[in-house]
Amino acid sequence: MIKLLFYAIIVLSMYKVKGDIMSLELKDVCKTFGEKEVVHKINLKLEKPGVYGLLGTNGAGKTTTIRMILGIIKKTSGEINWNGKEVTRENVNFGYLPEERGIYPKTKIYEQLLYFANLKGLNKREATKSIDYWLKRLEVEEYKNMQAEKLSKGNQQKIQFITAILHDPELIVLDEPFSGLDPINTEILKSVIKELVEKDKYIIMSSHQMASVEEFCTDITILDRGNTVVQGNLAKIKNSYKSDKIELDVENGIEEIIKKMNLKVLQQKEEEYLLKIDDENQAQEILKELINRNSKIRKFEMKKPSLNEIFIEKVGEVQ
Amino acid sequence: MKNLWTVTKFTMKDMIKRKSFIISTIILLVIIVVGFNIPNIINNFAGEEFNEKILVVDSENIFGNSKEILNQMELEYSFEFTSEDLTQEQIKEKIDNKDIDTCLKFTNENGIIKMEYIVESSSMTFGEVPQSLIMAFQTLYSNEQIIKLDISPEELAAISPQFNIEIIETDENAAKGNVVIMMLISAVLFYAVVFCAGQVSTAITTEKTSKIIETLVTSTKPATIVLGKTLGIGIIGLLQVILMIVVAGLSAHFCMDQEILETIFDLSNITIKLVFVAIIYFILGYALYSLAYALTGSTVSKPEDVQSANGPISFIAVIGFYLSYFSMTNPSSNLNKISGIVPISSPFSMPLRVMMGTATTSELITSIAVLTITTILVAIISIKIYSSAILNTGSKKSIIKILKESKKK
Repeated sequence: MIKLLFYAIIVLSMYKVKGDIMSLELKDVCKTFGEKEVVHKINLKLEKPGVYGLLGTNGAGKTTTIRMILGIIKKTSGEINWNGKEVTRENVNFGYLPEERGIYPKTKIYEQLLYFANLKGLNKREATKSIDYWLKRLEVEEYKNMQAEKLSKGNQQKIQFITAILHDPELIVLDEPFSGLDPINTEILKSVIKELVEKDKYIIMSSHQMASVEEFCTDITILDRGNTVVQGNLAKIKNSYKSDKIELDVENGIEEIIKKMNLKVLQQKEEEYLLKIDDENQAQEILKELINRNSKIRKFEMKKPSLNEIFIEKVGEVQ
Repeated sequence: MKNLWTVTKFTMKDMIKRKSFIISTIILLVIIVVGFNIPNIINNFAGEEFNEKILVVDSENIFGNSKEILNQMELEYSFEFTSEDLTQEQIKEKIDNKDIDTCLKFTNENGIIKMEYIVESSSMTFGEVPQSLIMAFQTLYSNEQIIKLDISPEELAAISPQFNIEIIETDENAAKGNVVIMMLISAVLFYAVVFCAGQVSTAITTEKTSKIIETLVTSTKPATIVLGKTLGIGIIGLLQVILMIVVAGLSAHFCMDQEILETIFDLSNITIKLVFVAIIYFILGYALYSLAYALTGSTVSKPEDVQSANGPISFIAVIGFYLSYFSMTNPSSNLNKISGIVPISSPFSMPLRVMMGTATTSELITSIAVLTITTILVAIISIKIYSSAILNTGSKKSIIKILKESKKK
């Protein structure tokens, strides 16, 4: 009987863990400043852990959307819910890296991290443990007792990143996390974001850097002047586009095929070509021609448009 | 509540580490110690020899033997009498050679005594003969004449005025209390308001300048930040005031003549009620002004704009302080009553009125109620402005504009 009860508790607790799946939902959220509508009826949903990409040009409404999600500014209309409840400091344990980087210049790194950890409910022991872990993880532990103003801009940014995550939040909002970072620090930050994803965190990230978005994001929304222009699962979005290029590495014969079929060369480097194609049938024809000519094919790859190209096509503006 | 203490603690730590705070505290303490030592310093420099040396030219022996009395008068001069009829040139030479500082030359011109005050420059005495000198020599002359009349000591005692002086005030509300202590209470509060409370706006603006504010407002409530900062700076301000009082007390105890001290600081008027009232007004007065400074600090985002934004509040504080100061000179006036009720001046004025015994209990309760309500109102407006102007990182915005925008939001 006791054994049965024990199993029942385990099953129930497992059910509870499964039942704790969280979600963030934005429904028809609008924001107007005076007469100007800066965000128009944005809808988005985060139903599983991972990184959600919020893309757009400067002034597209990314930061305004983020600020509305976190309640820093009030939405004009619509609904923003976390697990069906309004997003507030009390309802959601969230972490935020604002676009405007800020730090107490005269205060020691440890002291300001401890301050924010305390504000977020951690006691001194928990806070110190978390601070030490993240300082080491982001390779800035030697600055622990230094005044913030003595750190480089990139290191200050890493400290602010720690402020956003040291209290182990469920929802993490990162506004342009990579801007201003050198390649080495970008890699460190990327690995930390991957670690957070592995820990089942819900992350919203706004970025201009399409490569990093492609690397992390499962779902995206592209905003253009407050309007949603593309939205959904990134892989599905990319699959919905047909291949429009082929990448080739061929020893001979390709020059004649290009002439014969009147193909557009997008890039060429020695025997490596990037060719524009009208459709996938045309790619098949090129392949047939190469085989007929006994060309030595080292690489033949049909390519779909990159996120960058989709972005430019949709927003119509080069970043 | 826990976060309020976290913000308060952080603000306190930040405040005491500021170089400007440390330096200003040290300067204030040095001023206090030096201030209480001024009599000692003067004595050290002056000693007995520093007394002004006066040559009294009395060729006609007008003062006779009465000149001995001069020594009993404890004047800050050392006198030297001569019966030689010195000329102006001879006296000038003595002054130039620093043999003497000044000279008094007495001559009898047909029964009228002529007194010539010969001095290098009379600008030090504002072109006048010091009253103490005139009085001393008049007494000397009277004494000499009395001796010449051959009056017995009893007769002299009978004609000498010996009044038993008593002051009776017809105004029932007449002031009681000690002016020096009244002034000190007011001045300490004024210092706390202008220098400590002013720091609240600087602290708030600094967070906007360093752009930390966005992280901060997502970590805790705006009200917690505003109140925590006010409380933190208030506690430090209070500790600074206590430190000043302790240093002043020690300096007074060790450096000043106890008799003088007791006459200046007559503590007999300090009752428990007064201490209690002074503490209440100190806390409320500080809270009112620091929250008002929080309000002005929220309207700007650059350190260079803080001073101009704070201007109106500092001006109001000065008006409040002077209203209490002027009304103190006329304790039973209506102005005094008004200054005890109006919240901008009541923190400075009311403890003095309580000490003077001019405030009725109903006036005291009304005054505290008005001040508390005003402080709460200012706190609500400050928090509202702070919350609305968080992301205003541009130039200074008017309070009305921010309130209008917050309604739209």
